[in-house]
Amino acid sequence: MKVIIKNWTGVATWKWIANDDNCGICRMPFDGCCPDCKLPGDDCPLVWGECSHCFHMHCIMKWLQSQQVNQQCPMCRQEWKFNNK
Amino acid sequence: MSLKPRIVDFDATWRDIQGTIRGVITLDNIPRKIWNDRFSDIYSLCVAHPESLADRLYAETKQFLIDHVARLLNKVQDDGEVHLVRNYYFYWSQYSKGAGFLHSLYLYPNQQHIKVQKMSDAEMIYGSSDSNGGEQMEIGELALEVWRAGMIAPLGSRLVKLLLEAIDQDRAQHTTNIPIEAVKGTILSFVDVQGYKKKGQLQLYQELFEQPFLNASGEHYKRDAAGLLEERNVSLYMEKVIAKIDEELLRARKFLHQSSLQKVTQRCETHMVAEHLSFLYSECMNMVQGERKKDLSNMYNLLKSVPNALSVLVDTVLDHIKTQGLSAIGNLQGENIHISFVENLLTVYKKYRQQIQEVFNGDQNFMGALDKACSSVINHRPNMGKSPCRSPELLAKYCDTLLKKSSKGISEAEIEEKLSQSITIFKYIDDKDVFQKFYSRMLAKRLIHQLTQSMDAEEAMINRLKQACGYEFTSKLHRMFTDMSVSSDLNNKFNIFLKKDNVELGINFGIYVLQAGAWPLGQAVVTPFALPQQLEKSVQKFEAFYHEHFNGRKLTWLHHLCLAELRLGYLKRPYVVTVQTFQMAILLLFETVDSLTCNEIRETLQLNVDQFQRHAVSLVDSKILLAESEELTPETILRLNMDYSNKRTRFRITAAIQKESPQEVEHTMNSVEEDRKLYLQAAIVRIMKSRKVLKHNALIQEVCAQSKVSFAPSIPMIKKCIEALIDKQYLERTPHSSEEYSYVA
Repeated sequence: MKVIIKNWTGVATWKWIANDDNCGICRMPFDGCCPDCKLPGDDCPLVWGECSHCFHMHCIMKWLQSQQVNQQCPMCRQEWKFNNK
Repeated sequence: MSLKPRIVDFDATWRDIQGTIRGVITLDNIPRKIWNDRFSDIYSLCVAHPESLADRLYAETKQFLIDHVARLLNKVQDDGEVHLVRNYYFYWSQYSKGAGFLHSLYLYPNQQHIKVQKMSDAEMIYGSSDSNGGEQMEIGELALEVWRAGMIAPLGSRLVKLLLEAIDQDRAQHTTNIPIEAVKGTILSFVDVQGYKKKGQLQLYQELFEQPFLNASGEHYKRDAAGLLEERNVSLYMEKVIAKIDEELLRARKFLHQSSLQKVTQRCETHMVAEHLSFLYSECMNMVQGERKKDLSNMYNLLKSVPNALSVLVDTVLDHIKTQGLSAIGNLQGENIHISFVENLLTVYKKYRQQIQEVFNGDQNFMGALDKACSSVINHRPNMGKSPCRSPELLAKYCDTLLKKSSKGISEAEIEEKLSQSITIFKYIDDKDVFQKFYSRMLAKRLIHQLTQSMDAEEAMINRLKQACGYEFTSKLHRMFTDMSVSSDLNNKFNIFLKKDNVELGINFGIYVLQAGAWPLGQAVVTPFALPQQLEKSVQKFEAFYHEHFNGRKLTWLHHLCLAELRLGYLKRPYVVTVQTFQMAILLLFETVDSLTCNEIRETLQLNVDQFQRHAVSLVDSKILLAESEELTPETILRLNMDYSNKRTRFRITAAIQKESPQEVEHTMNSVEEDRKLYLQAAIVRIMKSRKVLKHNALIQEVCAQSKVSFAPSIPMIKKCIEALIDKQYLERTPHSSEEYSYVA
């Protein structure tokens, strides 16, 4: 072997892949954060429902807490279940 | 004896009393028994039956005092003008002391009979009916008042004339001729004689003596100043004047009541400084430019108490510092322009800061001038304001140089010191956002390429910036640090994951996973690239691992930022080289052959022309590859340099590529411009949302105030942003005035 790789340090960036650009609840872009947070990133994550709709976690939690009877997805009115695939 | 009121023979009793009080007022020896008898006599007169004789006693006593003072007046004048002051002082001392005793002798009527008539304190302060002459005073006060009327009134102006002469003699250094104590005592008697008054104690002193004294002194100062001016030498003049003021102050302490000290100094300054300002200013420029510390300090001391007189000196100092500053950073050339820029500025700053402390006592006016001068030097735009100001960029570079591994030969403490000093300069920069842009790009490079000297130093610097500019300013920088620590966690987890599955990658693999928005990496220059197969496994495994852990995230590899350490095994000595991924990929192609054409390499790796050129050239320049021609055309053959040798066995060939290219600088400037527009628009919308309707000028003012922290916006730019917002229908012009905007909800 003429050239051997001893170390390799990779650099990569990550982005959310959601099926929409904006959060359906707060209308803020998914690249940004929910209105209550200051910085986007790990502290303000996205979550998906089984209906495949996606929101800021903080936004959907607030929405679910405000619903007294049925926990529904605000977009499609199906019952809300977290998709933990 | 009994305290009961009884009938008293006034005339007989008064004869006794009169004899005693004559003794008291002339400080004769009074036996205790007689004193006690007179005390009760006075009491019995006051409570006499069938009616009190107090008023009569008061009238008689007053008459007695008037007669006594009249006699003294003659005695004082007996020895002529020469001894007038001395005699006056002698009799005054005796009389004033005697009056004190007399006051005690009359304690009963003072307290029981006269107090009742006196005004209460409240009436005194809020000034009800002014004292009408018929009112009775306590005996001690009466005595002083009689002295004023009977002695000072007729003699006052003659005394003052003599006193002024005495002080003039003192000025002329004939101190032996004057009775200092008598002069001082006489002067103070003008105060003491009214000392009992609640208001205007100094009135007599001021009218009778102080005013003539100040006028006379004023004339004297004027003559003195005129004499000194003839020498036409500013520094000599200042020294003499300062000495003169000190001397006069000393004299005032020697002779005058302390309330006059301030006035004497003021007079002196008026006549010797304020009236000759233009003469003093004439040397100002030369003194500042020559940095004649002593003269400047004298000048400051003279001018500081004259209202508004300092401004000329302050302005001159400001101009001087500015010129010095500009010449320190003008004409800088060479590689290390950023270092000399910052260090020269700091030298100028420190020098003048110290000078101001030393010479001007750290006066706020001069500190302000230093600030103004520094900020205009640092934000100076060369070429009549047409070229952009490079200070933010240079300062960021300076910090970069200090924080990079390469800075050798300086201790950590020194680096700390230098970094904290660079904050001084940072504070003066108007375009802080430009600095932030450059700084964050350089920080990103340092972190990704593992060039940081110490993480502690980095964090300390960011904290300093945060202190100077607030949380918003550094939040992006903080996010980079967070990503670094998240990534190191991730590496650990990945290694555990590999161990569990028993996978060998064949290389040492590390990774930085960065959050897309937080890093100033330029909008993802993702170039097509065929990954060398040696890396494929690692990349695939990591992607699998990552997607298992994090839902809904997409990874984008930034190959132009990846680094590899290679061992070159085909040379006489083994070398360890740090290269970028693209360089590594090129080198790996030579595994089976010794020469390849440029085109072949580019095709295999699917690199674009620009990327290929940069990296291939860097390999040729470092002599690892040999090219057959200067210019790399697609047909040029590159071959491995089998005779390569280097003194060091471990080196990098990444430097050339990491350099900030002019395009990058321009790119940074453009992105700053874009950010500013967004910032301004956001600020305008915020302001208008809360104010609803606002005049044009008021809006501009508020916008400027809000953005001051990070940059100084230009007015045309704000106007453009307002226009843009009107187009986007956030705002509209109010119908009745084009100078007013309203917020559209």
